[in-house]
Amino acid sequence: MTPESLTQPAFWPLSIIVFLPALVAAFLSLPILPKGKEESVRWIALLTMAVVFLLSLWMAVPGLFGATGPGQFVVGEPGMQDVVKRAWIPAFGIEYLLGVDGISMPLVVLTTFLSMLAAAASWPITKNVKAYFVLFLLLVTGMLGVFVSLDFMLFYVFWEVMLLPMYFLIGIWGGPRREYAAIKFFLYTLLGSVLMLLAILMLYYSSDLRVLSDEQLLASHVVSPVLEGAARTAALAAVHSAQAPIHTFNIMALSQIGQLPVSPFAATQLWGMSLEMWAFLLLLIGFVIKVPVFPVHTWLPDAHVEAPTPISMILAGVLLKLGGYGILRICYPICPGAGLALAWLVCGLGVVSMVYGAFAALAQKDFKRMVAYSSVSHMGYVMLGLGVWSAVSGQEYRWDAWAQGVNGAMFQMLAHGISSAGMFFMVGVLYDRVHHRNLEEFGGIFSRMPVYSGLAMALFFAGLGLPGLCGFIGEVLVTLSSWNYSRGLAVCSAFTVILTAAYILWAIQRVYLGAEYKGPHGDHLTPITPRELAIATPLVFFAILFGVAPQLLFNYVTPSVNRQVETLAEWTRTVHDAGRQPLPATAASEAKDAAGVLAAADAPLPIGQR
Amino acid sequence: MDLESLLPMLLGLAWLTPLASFVAILFFGPRMGPHGRNAAWVATAAIATSFVLSLAAFVFWLAHHPVQAVDHGGHGSSHAAAASANPFRTVALADADAHADEHGNATHAGHSPTAYSGDWYTLYQGGRLKLSIGWYIDALTVLMFVMITFIATCIHIYASGYMHDELHDVTDHEVHLADGHHLHRPGRFCRFFQALSLFCFSMLGIVIAGNLAMVFIFWELVGICSWFLIGFYFERQSASTAANKAFIVNRIGDFGMLIGLMALWGALGTLHFADHSVQGEQQPGLFSLVRPAATGHALQVPDGMVAFAAADDVGRIARAHSDDPAAGVHEVAGKIDGWRNLGVGQWLLFVAGIGIFCGCVGKSAQFPLFVWLPDAMEGPTPVSALVHSATMVAAGVYLVGRFYPVLTPDVLLVIAYVGAITLFISATIALVANDIKRVLAYSTVSQLGYMMLALGVGGWLAGLFHLVTHAFFKSLLFLCSGSVIHACHTNDMRKMGGLAKVMPWTAGTMLVGCLAIIGAGIPFVIGTSGYYSKDSILAQALSFSQANPAHSILYWAVAGGALLTAFYMFRLWFMTFAGSPRDHHIAEHAHESPQVMVAPLIALAVMAVVAGWTLPGGFGIANLLEQARPAGTDVGGAGYFFSTLRIPAEHESHVGAIHITATMTAFLTAAAGVLLAALMYVWKLISPGMVAAMFRPLYTLLSNRWYFDEIYHALFVSPVLAVASLASNTDRGVIDRFIDGVAWAARQVAGIDAWIDRTIVDGLVNATANATWNTGLELKKLQTGHLRQYVMFIVMGTVALFVLASLLLRNSFAG
Repeated sequence: MTPESLTQPAFWPLSIIVFLPALVAAFLSLPILPKGKEESVRWIALLTMAVVFLLSLWMAVPGLFGATGPGQFVVGEPGMQDVVKRAWIPAFGIEYLLGVDGISMPLVVLTTFLSMLAAAASWPITKNVKAYFVLFLLLVTGMLGVFVSLDFMLFYVFWEVMLLPMYFLIGIWGGPRREYAAIKFFLYTLLGSVLMLLAILMLYYSSDLRVLSDEQLLASHVVSPVLEGAARTAALAAVHSAQAPIHTFNIMALSQIGQLPVSPFAATQLWGMSLEMWAFLLLLIGFVIKVPVFPVHTWLPDAHVEAPTPISMILAGVLLKLGGYGILRICYPICPGAGLALAWLVCGLGVVSMVYGAFAALAQKDFKRMVAYSSVSHMGYVMLGLGVWSAVSGQEYRWDAWAQGVNGAMFQMLAHGISSAGMFFMVGVLYDRVHHRNLEEFGGIFSRMPVYSGLAMALFFAGLGLPGLCGFIGEVLVTLSSWNYSRGLAVCSAFTVILTAAYILWAIQRVYLGAEYKGPHGDHLTPITPRELAIATPLVFFAILFGVAPQLLFNYVTPSVNRQVETLAEWTRTVHDAGRQPLPATAASEAKDAAGVLAAADAPLPIGQR
Repeated sequence: MDLESLLPMLLGLAWLTPLASFVAILFFGPRMGPHGRNAAWVATAAIATSFVLSLAAFVFWLAHHPVQAVDHGGHGSSHAAAASANPFRTVALADADAHADEHGNATHAGHSPTAYSGDWYTLYQGGRLKLSIGWYIDALTVLMFVMITFIATCIHIYASGYMHDELHDVTDHEVHLADGHHLHRPGRFCRFFQALSLFCFSMLGIVIAGNLAMVFIFWELVGICSWFLIGFYFERQSASTAANKAFIVNRIGDFGMLIGLMALWGALGTLHFADHSVQGEQQPGLFSLVRPAATGHALQVPDGMVAFAAADDVGRIARAHSDDPAAGVHEVAGKIDGWRNLGVGQWLLFVAGIGIFCGCVGKSAQFPLFVWLPDAMEGPTPVSALVHSATMVAAGVYLVGRFYPVLTPDVLLVIAYVGAITLFISATIALVANDIKRVLAYSTVSQLGYMMLALGVGGWLAGLFHLVTHAFFKSLLFLCSGSVIHACHTNDMRKMGGLAKVMPWTAGTMLVGCLAIIGAGIPFVIGTSGYYSKDSILAQALSFSQANPAHSILYWAVAGGALLTAFYMFRLWFMTFAGSPRDHHIAEHAHESPQVMVAPLIALAVMAVVAGWTLPGGFGIANLLEQARPAGTDVGGAGYFFSTLRIPAEHESHVGAIHITATMTAFLTAAAGVLLAALMYVWKLISPGMVAAMFRPLYTLLSNRWYFDEIYHALFVSPVLAVASLASNTDRGVIDRFIDGVAWAARQVAGIDAWIDRTIVDGLVNATANATWNTGLELKKLQTGHLRQYVMFIVMGTVALFVLASLLLRNSFAG
């Protein structure tokens, strides 16, 4: 029984959410608005983002605005929902394929929410306001597009769309070293996306839709499940009767192919490694640059320090999550063999980033740089949680611990989105007043700005991972789950809690506590303004809400995550382990069936060493 | 309403009421009366309500589980199990699947304590794993609730008087501003009570917690409350530093605790104490996993841990059966017992126990993490009384007691030694400290060491009994010291003296407190609360050292510690209250504290005397605690890694000989200590200065607190900061330099490229352009202005186009 939203592809909600910001950006860039109407540009951008946020909320939380309708998300349903499928470049099978599941829906809402707050935080921007908001809105479209696209080429296009506005936003509206930071950001991410493109093409050209069964074709929306009767049969037959291989960019179909008992990705060898290994590595590099992990993280502190406050909020709150999302959505399902073989790499990178980022944060003198390094450390938890592939033979293929890690990683991404955006905003509030960020030259802010300091400390405590605030749940779930994967990594990850407490409390002490303010422009330390309050309060509210009621998020995340983890755990047992040794009778026949599909498709692929 | 739904409701409300007070004061505190004065009443009313609710729970508990009269040989601590007729019950009301299950325990060897447990709220659920907020209520929980809320209520009332300075603008004489003035700031009366309320909520959360995850959550929350309260005078650098130190040192303990949690969670998939239901399915809790009823509650490594430790073998089997996982699981299950007998998984249980104990080491300020507690005295004195002596620091001891069934004898030995080292080191430091609060702080550390040692040598009841009695007399001592500080405006005992005349109530109640802490009493007849609890510790330590002569130093640590305790406590009392004033300025201005502060002193003094008593009929804290004794811990045990170790059962310490020796030792050491203090500080027969001069190196070592802070700074803080700046410099100096180098190289390549562009490519292009230009010049000649020529060109062009098109598009035309 499929939910209504699956059978009725709701074209509009997702497309509007993604493209409304771009449309408004196009409208703003037309010479319609007279010059000097900067205030109205700000309001237009803010209202656009408010509409987009409310729309995404309407979609994500059925019943929030009264009756439920088609196009709304069905909470608890693990599969893809609201899938939009239109041909885009048929010659290459590139489709306009959008959809959301429990993994992407919360991230979409997080993006619209933070973008709305960032738009409100953009009021102090006075240089070339119109251009700023045009780029800002384009950036939002790019980010949302990445989260909802299910076609790999479309995903890549959105990924690139996001890159350029970010470059300009840092390079034009940034601080003194903005050009250095912008170029660094650009080159790092460009390198990542070039490698990603390589991987995409590798996967594309070795994919073949004909090896998939009817059910798999329908489940991956290669053949739209909306089609009924004869149309469906014809579409399925068209795939199976094709003479030449049908390549695909469909991410769901690529995952199905990657998890086949005899997958062409695993079977194809390239310079001594399987193609899936290459693809996994190339994609991983592209994604971990975004996350970022040690040693490709150095663009982040510079970008943050130079970027204007709202862009820092977006950068920390949303952009970093694209990396984690990519690994979860693309790397693991498409290349499970490589994922299992390289789980140590993902986890190791995560733990190294956690520890390294925390140490580096401890040494910073610049407030914003410290928060930036805390992001490196916190995103390390995400990597660790995603990587803990503990559903292995020694654990009797139990997948609970791994699912817990992935759920924790997802929660950590969402929680970090709130707490880090909040921390950057709070740093920005101070910077707007005294125009410096030197940790040694603060002090006594609590006495001068009590309301601001209270809210800021709440957000910093969320970053510290204090129970009752959002940072705790993700960290503790990831840490607890890592034990079943590796004792050593688990101990290292637990060790990070000490460092985290140290750098956050030390920063709080130097900035907020103490008797008097030690830096310049002390007379500008005015109490928090209503606009700033309106941005900080929702962040604090959600930091507390998700800390106290994590189930609100897990209701979305867990079904989808658990299904993926369960599938891959099954894969470990039936494909990975069963294929590695002399096959018992039953497993052999299963494998033969699978191989038979391949043989029927006339694709004689060598069975590689898995 | 039956007890199993009544108790969670009563104690749950008692737990949440302070939270409501916190929220109310957070938002409306400054508007509660002039300068937020009424915030004190809101907070006090909340905690008093909690006390009443806890008391109600206590009464209901007693009504259902009457404390039975047992033969206690003159002492409250008795071994005779108050075995309850009620079965061990587990209730899960969470997630709408109300579910009750009863385990009759009549058939099992050994007794199970009566406990009610269940879940209120789920934080995470994935597969069989469940993290939740729930309750585990037994006699210990109820007793702790009553104790904590009673002391907290007293301290709230006391603080409403003590903190009155905060009702108006405050000039902080300890803070010097850049312009040379003292800090002048608005009062923060309501903020104090706000934090106090949050603390009470967090503390009660630890006590009621039904699983270790919840303990950990509230463990962290009390930590942050402690941070707020130590740093209450956050303008003082020393206060905010002490607050950070406390939190970070505690986090070091929590690091270990996390490892313990991982060891349990990873292998067993549950952190629940008691059996519970997950998705409507009954799952065994930690207690019954480690001490299953089937073995008569004897300790064994749970199946999950055995399988986890034997992962390689399990993996081989599972891979061989990867087509039929059920068969693999079955085969593994069949081999578990064999592996267990080989000792597989023992290390895991050991790690789990040590890990959890690490958390307790941090929170309960045990060696080597005790350094934060003396610094924590930067907080206001009521905080020291409530948080840093009676409740929060006792949470570590409480957790060891709660978690006792899972601790192996090997872990217990570690605990005993840590306790012994702690009690000895801190007692020696207390001998020479001159800050009245610091003496009490070190004495707290020392007493916590006593409790840990008691638990470690098998004295489950002795340790927890001392926890309860200590809470009463130590909070009393702190409040008395607060009263003194309030009157003298100094912490330095060298400026006090002769205060008994001006502050009779304070002096009297503090004397009661001192007598209680040294365990004063008439041997075998009657005594203060400390007399009973300390005797049971001594007896158990003696029984332990007789069973394990190799570890008899543990007994001597206890006995020696008792002597030191008696000495420094009476040194404190004599220096403060006896004799004549040393500083007349201070003595003249000193005055007895207001009634609102004295009344709590009296209430606590009464409790400090009677808390250890056992009434005719058997009612008493010791016998009540006996109801909660974890199943299987009444028989002692033997070590695995320390193979000669034998933990004696607690009732063995009530054998006549041991009991008499212990009581007499306690009496004589205490008497000797008091006598020595009197010789030095009352009769002045021995000059303290001369003693200090005689043992100069020792004195220097002690007054510098064994140089722990300096050693830790050199060993840990500096290296960490060095590594931190190394990491930061690696980023800038290595990674960024590499990136910049690559960028530089790229620019050089681009430069060469540009040169090629300019000279070769551009040369070609320019040549082409020149050629085009010249061609244009030539073609210009065609522009003759003659219409005929133009028409001819057009026709020729069209024909040429047609020819071209037909050649290129032949296929399409043909198709």
